[in-house]
Amino acid sequence: MEFLLMNHPLDCPICDQGGECDLQDQSMAFGSDRGRFTEVKRSVVDKNLGPLVKTVMTRCIQCTRCVRFATEVAGVQDLGMLGRGSGEEIGTYVEKLMTSELSGNVIDICPVGALTSKPFAFKARNWELKGTETIDVTDAVGSNIRIDSRGPEVMRIVPRLNEDINEEWISDKTRFCYDGLKRQRLNDPMIRGADGRFKPVIWRDALAVVAEMAHKVKPEEIVGVAGQLSDAESMMALKDLLNKMGSNNVWCEGNGSNRDADLRSGYIMNSSIAGLEKADAFLLVGTQPRVEAAIVNARIRKTVLAKQAQGWGPDTLLEIAERRHPFSSVLLNAKNPAIIVGAGLFERKDKDAIFSALETIAKYANAVRLDWNGFNVLLLKAAQAAALDLGLVPESENSIESAKFVYLMGADDVNLEKVPADALWFIKGIMATGVDDWKIIRALSEVAGVKLPYDTLGAIRSRIKTVAPNILNIDEREPATFSFSIKPESTKKMDSAPFGTAVDNFYMTDSITRASKIMAQCSALLLKK
Amino acid sequence: MASSLRHGLTKARSHILSRTRWFSSQSDALVEAKIPEVGIISGIPEQHLRRRVVIYSPARTASQQGSGKVGKWKINFLSTQKWENPLMGWTSTGDPYANVGDAGLSFESEEAAKEFAEKHGWEYTVRKRHTPLLRVKSYADNFKWKGLPKSEE
Repeated sequence: MEFLLMNHPLDCPICDQGGECDLQDQSMAFGSDRGRFTEVKRSVVDKNLGPLVKTVMTRCIQCTRCVRFATEVAGVQDLGMLGRGSGEEIGTYVEKLMTSELSGNVIDICPVGALTSKPFAFKARNWELKGTETIDVTDAVGSNIRIDSRGPEVMRIVPRLNEDINEEWISDKTRFCYDGLKRQRLNDPMIRGADGRFKPVIWRDALAVVAEMAHKVKPEEIVGVAGQLSDAESMMALKDLLNKMGSNNVWCEGNGSNRDADLRSGYIMNSSIAGLEKADAFLLVGTQPRVEAAIVNARIRKTVLAKQAQGWGPDTLLEIAERRHPFSSVLLNAKNPAIIVGAGLFERKDKDAIFSALETIAKYANAVRLDWNGFNVLLLKAAQAAALDLGLVPESENSIESAKFVYLMGADDVNLEKVPADALWFIKGIMATGVDDWKIIRALSEVAGVKLPYDTLGAIRSRIKTVAPNILNIDEREPATFSFSIKPESTKKMDSAPFGTAVDNFYMTDSITRASKIMAQCSALLLKK
Repeated sequence: MASSLRHGLTKARSHILSRTRWFSSQSDALVEAKIPEVGIISGIPEQHLRRRVVIYSPARTASQQGSGKVGKWKINFLSTQKWENPLMGWTSTGDPYANVGDAGLSFESEEAAKEFAEKHGWEYTVRKRHTPLLRVKSYADNFKWKGLPKSEE
């Protein structure tokens, strides 16, 4: 204890780690109340690790946890130990930023205040914070998190242990997106007037206008798009509302015109995230786990024994399907081969052909058995799986082109160029504070004369139970009952266009992260090529 | 004074008895509804009698602290009505239970928390507790002989 504290500064009153510091706890329990060290304390120059991690290197006790995390879990050899004796220090050797998507975790790992959160620096003390345990929505992984708030304000996000999903890590996007919650919010309903400006109105007027518009158009011209951050309750209400009005053109963004919601195994991670560790060969198709789901990437990395083949287009995939590629023998020899398909492929026209090629591969590699299901789809957006579970699939593929009335429930990433210019709009942002989306839809249904039969959260959940009971089993993974073996064969041809990237910018993928200043800094500094 | 007290007691009792009868008339129901004794007797306002609560065990902190305080069970009242009071900038709430769960209620076991919630007539859901998976690891394994080196393909 005395040796540890010898070179550790007495920073506790001005240190962000104060109150949740392992060294502080230890010295409170076992430490002496006075030191015998009379020399000068050593000082170490602070390192610049980027916009997320603040360093005060004199506080470092050289436990090397951050170094081991970076090399073993995050897979970047950025940090290391330099020098020896009292000159020993943690650093990047040359001035360099930490480029990992998981770099924020070194803040949690550091047992002292050497690595702390830069955006959270001097904002609050941890004993003032109230934690709310919840689930992350910035990607489709669903990392377990705790949101710490002080009063009504979100102050920080920290991970929560869940061995089946995120272990104890979260990605930087999850951890630091919270300042986006505080900017660019829609607090009141607004209607665009004749002069083209938005004017705040009261809810009753807004709903009346929307209901009137919805009745002006034909039922099949009504289109509903649920945003990527929508909750299952709102999506259920949206689908019920549109169905009651006579339209069935409702989907969730990210799923595109994908209409395969019949077989759950076609859109979920069948082997489970934790199950990926059992795999011994990976075939990644049209996906970049590092940016699409950084936590899943860490899992795959953990299973380092596996060999990976990342083809660059449908040609390679076809070669593997026809067993002409050297990788097919790897798949054949593997005991638990895992195929991971990116959800970016949902947007492609030749999706069915790609999936049937993958199914051929899965069949000959014996990837789907009773004890192992290695056919995985890696979704991109938080709401996607629930939307497909609830059956939010468009009736016709080109519904958006003939739409006259579009209900965008927090959907920001819909390509609106195809919508005819004379369409009447109803855009509703995700960030209406204090009002749940399903309540708005419920109110709208009453104004529009197609009243939905639920008034409470309990009632809407029992409605969900009749459609997709698995959604209500919180914290439980519901495996798919049927695999693709009962799916009809597709005869379509694959397009030879290469698979695009589904996520261009890891740090900005939805309305919250796009509004976040920290994420903007990250993309400016870390994605600089 | 004494008579009014007795009167109050009989009133509370008859209230409970009427409740019991009301529940017993539905005795063929699949789920047996429990009488929220404590809730009724302690004079808790009607709108707070049957609340939805979540029983959970707080996760270990993400930072590297010891695990001495882990394993307790808490009741969360799912209260979200909070605002910044314009007078002083303090946080106000319209929910009398807003700070009760975190500050006042802590249980040794899941069952104790459930029993407490039942006594008060709260409709609860229990969140699963996540515990770390301990894998046996040894530093020496890094240097273990793993067979002849495989030839690179």
